[in-house]
Amino acid sequence: MAVTILIPAPLRRFTNEQASVQVEAGTVGEALTKLDAQFPGIRDRICEPDGRLRRFVSVFVNGRDVRSLEGLDTPLREGDEVGIIPAMAGGR
Amino acid sequence: MIRLSRAHYEAIVAHARQEVPRECCGLLAGQGERVERVYPIANRADQAADLFAERDLMPRAGADPALLPTERYFMDPEELFRALREIEAQALQHLANYHSHPATPARPSRTDIEFAAYWPHVYHLICSLADPDRPDLRAFRIVDGQATEVPIVVEDE
Repeated sequence: MAVTILIPAPLRRFTNEQASVQVEAGTVGEALTKLDAQFPGIRDRICEPDGRLRRFVSVFVNGRDVRSLEGLDTPLREGDEVGIIPAMAGGR
Repeated sequence: MIRLSRAHYEAIVAHARQEVPRECCGLLAGQGERVERVYPIANRADQAADLFAERDLMPRAGADPALLPTERYFMDPEELFRALREIEAQALQHLANYHSHPATPARPSRTDIEFAAYWPHVYHLICSLADPDRPDLRAFRIVDGQATEVPIVVEDE
């Protein structure tokens, strides 16, 4: 399945400033593995060493947070868009 | 320097007031140093207790998650994603994040500085309502754990 991964500005230093990357993948986890094969090191910014999604990162399929879907096992269809965003958080 | 119209300034202050005692949060988009749009985003800190706890940034041990938004903000991820997509679709730049400090000064906290590490290329605006009659809006660059204040120019149309 050809899908598009949208790279957030804070991670574009890994992708030679590319804002989107095409990969062939059947699940979100596989898409991230393929992304890391092209741009080594980027997956560590998104996933913990044990493979779980980092708490301060959200991953989306067509705008839906994968935490409300099947996480990294969320299946992908041809043409899907996978988004990635680090948390925006803080407080007094 | 960051430039905003009086209307955008008022929109940020109104958002901060409307959310009291909770912190408000949102994005500013525009071109260069000029803000052209304000995107309010829902504060979902009540769902992000684990995120703060893993960094030892909970306000108090055992704090009630339902009260977290009064001392922390966490932008709703799906709303944030949509806003960033819209900003790119309109050929605008994501210039800044903003949030409020309902009862404390407009200075970046340790929590603000830690989370700003992922967003060093944008300004961080803080609207303090410590004196409810005199809102204090300030902008900072936060790079490598160092916050530097940046002047805000409010332009009357």
